[in-house]
Amino acid sequence: MIKGATAFIVLAGAAFFMGDYHNDVYRKLLLWITLALGYNFLFGICGQVAFSHFAFYGIGAYSIVIFLFQFHLPFPVAVLCGIALCVFFALAVAIPSTRLEGFYLALATLALGQLFIVVLNEGGAVTGGTGGIANYRLPEIFGFQLRGPWYTAVIALLVVATYLVLVRLDRSWFGRACRAVRDNPEAAAAMGVNVARTKVIAFTLTSALAGVAGMVYAFVDNTVNPPIFGIDNAFLLLFMVIVGGAGRHAGAVIGATLLFLLPFWLSPLVGHHQALVFGVLVVLAILLQPAGLVGIYDRVVRR
Amino acid sequence: MNVILEVRGLSKRFGGLTAVHNLDFDVREGEILGMIGPNGAGKSTTFNLIAGTYPATAGDVRYAGERLLGLPPHRIAARGVMRTFQHNRPFAGMRVVDNVLVGAHTRFRRRLWSIVLGGAREEEMRQRERALELVRFVGLGEQANADVGTLSFGQGRLLEIARALAGEPRLILLDEPAAGLTPAECARLADIIRGIAARGIAVLLIEHDMHFLLPLAHRVVALNFGAKIADGPPAAVRAHRAVMDAYLGSHAPAQ
Amino acid sequence: MQDFFELAVGAAASGCIYGLIGLAYLLVLRPTGIINFAVGEWAMLGAFGGYVLLTTYEWPYPLGMAVALAFVFLVGWATERIVVRPLVEKGAPLLAPILALLGMVVVYRETISAIFPPDPMPVPYAFGMGRLELGPIAGTYQSFFTIGVTLAVFIATWLFFERTVAGKAFEAVALHRRAAALMGINLSRVMALSFGAGAVVAGLGGLLVAPNTSAHYLMGVPLAIQGFTALVIGGVGRVAGPLLGGLLLALAEQLTVRYAPIPSGYAQGMPLALLMVFLLLRPTGLLRARS
Repeated sequence: MIKGATAFIVLAGAAFFMGDYHNDVYRKLLLWITLALGYNFLFGICGQVAFSHFAFYGIGAYSIVIFLFQFHLPFPVAVLCGIALCVFFALAVAIPSTRLEGFYLALATLALGQLFIVVLNEGGAVTGGTGGIANYRLPEIFGFQLRGPWYTAVIALLVVATYLVLVRLDRSWFGRACRAVRDNPEAAAAMGVNVARTKVIAFTLTSALAGVAGMVYAFVDNTVNPPIFGIDNAFLLLFMVIVGGAGRHAGAVIGATLLFLLPFWLSPLVGHHQALVFGVLVVLAILLQPAGLVGIYDRVVRR
Repeated sequence: MNVILEVRGLSKRFGGLTAVHNLDFDVREGEILGMIGPNGAGKSTTFNLIAGTYPATAGDVRYAGERLLGLPPHRIAARGVMRTFQHNRPFAGMRVVDNVLVGAHTRFRRRLWSIVLGGAREEEMRQRERALELVRFVGLGEQANADVGTLSFGQGRLLEIARALAGEPRLILLDEPAAGLTPAECARLADIIRGIAARGIAVLLIEHDMHFLLPLAHRVVALNFGAKIADGPPAAVRAHRAVMDAYLGSHAPAQ
Repeated sequence: MQDFFELAVGAAASGCIYGLIGLAYLLVLRPTGIINFAVGEWAMLGAFGGYVLLTTYEWPYPLGMAVALAFVFLVGWATERIVVRPLVEKGAPLLAPILALLGMVVVYRETISAIFPPDPMPVPYAFGMGRLELGPIAGTYQSFFTIGVTLAVFIATWLFFERTVAGKAFEAVALHRRAAALMGINLSRVMALSFGAGAVVAGLGGLLVAPNTSAHYLMGVPLAIQGFTALVIGGVGRVAGPLLGGLLLALAEQLTVRYAPIPSGYAQGMPLALLMVFLLLRPTGLLRARS
């Protein structure tokens, strides 16, 4: 708890020393780290390959905007409704897909991610169609308008809270059950672990966390539109976790930071074809360094 | 002693092959029941039927009076029937004590929200203490915090047992625990199994090696071609004609 | 009724495409256990092969088709050699090659997007734009061509698995890798060929669908989803499974587009809906394996 508070103060404090541009980059970096931490729990710790994490980020973002500004719900109610929506869709996809061994969840979530974009584009006035929704502002909370570095502090709180929740789960019977399910589902079942239920809970929980991150994101650019939540970013998230080191919280942080910052250095070299570089990078990582960057760090330290 | 497990008319067919045929036997509390038979006699299949890994074709398995057949493996484990596997199946990348804590999965009471709010520390510590005790009980105390990948094969066999014990079983199924162990390790294992039975836990033990099993078991069931061919005290089963035939081949000269 | 037959022929042609993609999954899945999401991208490569050879260079259709398919065969074969083989030989868990192939999805796609402009590229019909009418059954030449070619591919695949020694070798590898190795089956050749064959079948699907949809670097993922859904509906146990599943999926899609009062884009939800229904109600698919 003290460590968490320190991390929050450092992460939030840094925002007050940055200009507008760097604040914007920094906010997005923190959001990517949040998403990567959640995805690492699902993929790295529980062994589930899913492509819906970014769609749930989008469901969170769109739902808070729609509930607040189209349906005019009070702020806390809108937040709860958004989470409920994420949980509903997560359960609807995960319960059928996790009953069997194999990659049904991967395909079902890929299909969900595609469908989400279709719904956004075709959703008419509710979703704003291809243009999305823009020109709204975070409501005042207790008469206080959060903006600039203060809103960055909210994002820092989100990262730290997500990290604490996931680490606590990881170090409990639930985290051990997730790892057991990943390594050997049959042995896990013999130890009394309900394999399907563990997968469903891990998927629903991390999806809801992505939804919450999406709600925070909605007020970063004060616009939500379909291209932001495309399937490309779902792949990028998977690549971040693999390159950083799947199954390790530090790996998620490293991978997200590296792949988020890489385009800033790469774009003079490869233009907008950074995705090709990421693809090659992840294939090389799987072939040559399956433990990811955090695995290299471990080896160096041990020496 | 009370009967903890009743098996009646248990059968399993895979396509045209009958792996287990009309099997009857009982296991009592605190008893070590050995199960012997040549390769392919149906011993492991019987285990998998009791543990719920395969559905049975016919028959009835009652544990403490309750029907087990049809329950999924995790519910059977939750009722106190824990097992080991013929081949070590550690959860990779976890420490030895954490592997044992997976075995204690059904003994945790704290809910997820309580974990998230930080309220499950006391239970976690208590269970960890208990897991460490079990790790020491099987003689892996020194390796408790080592990565499970660093264990030797024999230590891995012992970890399987500690992990199964963590579920506080009333019946433990051990699938060839002595396979591949050195004579010294076998002797330790025999002591551990006696220790388990002394706690009042029923032990059902598959074993190939008669020299290991006979001095250890209170009673022995012999299988061949999926059917029971003998049942009784170790000495009597060993002397049984059908058992000698099954082990030595029916054309072996009588001794 | 006329309307329905017209729709049925169109649906059958789309279903054949999904069936081909499903078969591409199956050809890799059976001997290796690997679910290869790159099949959609292989279809995309087949479509772009058609664009380059048939549209840009105006080669005769059979020659262009043969060379485009030879090219995707090489891509599939090389992918197995470079990306999959090292992991299998290292004894890595099955997840590793599956993830590496997911990485390849992005590599294929971004390579094409780097070479070609981002617009849809035209690919010609095999026999031009004409329509064929056989009594009440009417459709475009391309639909009938697609159906004919697909049936030929499925019959050939079925004959290969059921009637030839090499096909039995593939089956044996699927059942038990170590036993197959002991029987003297060249595991590494079986694996390389299964990837090559999967790429050809997927590439064919892409080449056949491209005249209607155009070749586009983003066409792979939807095809990968539809092909997998076809496989789940039909079942992995039999060669005919993906074809049956593909036909059902396409029919369901076309009926929704035609008769349901929702925007046509929502037909993209049909694979997900069918996937969920089948996973819940009949996870083994419609056709069970013969035991």
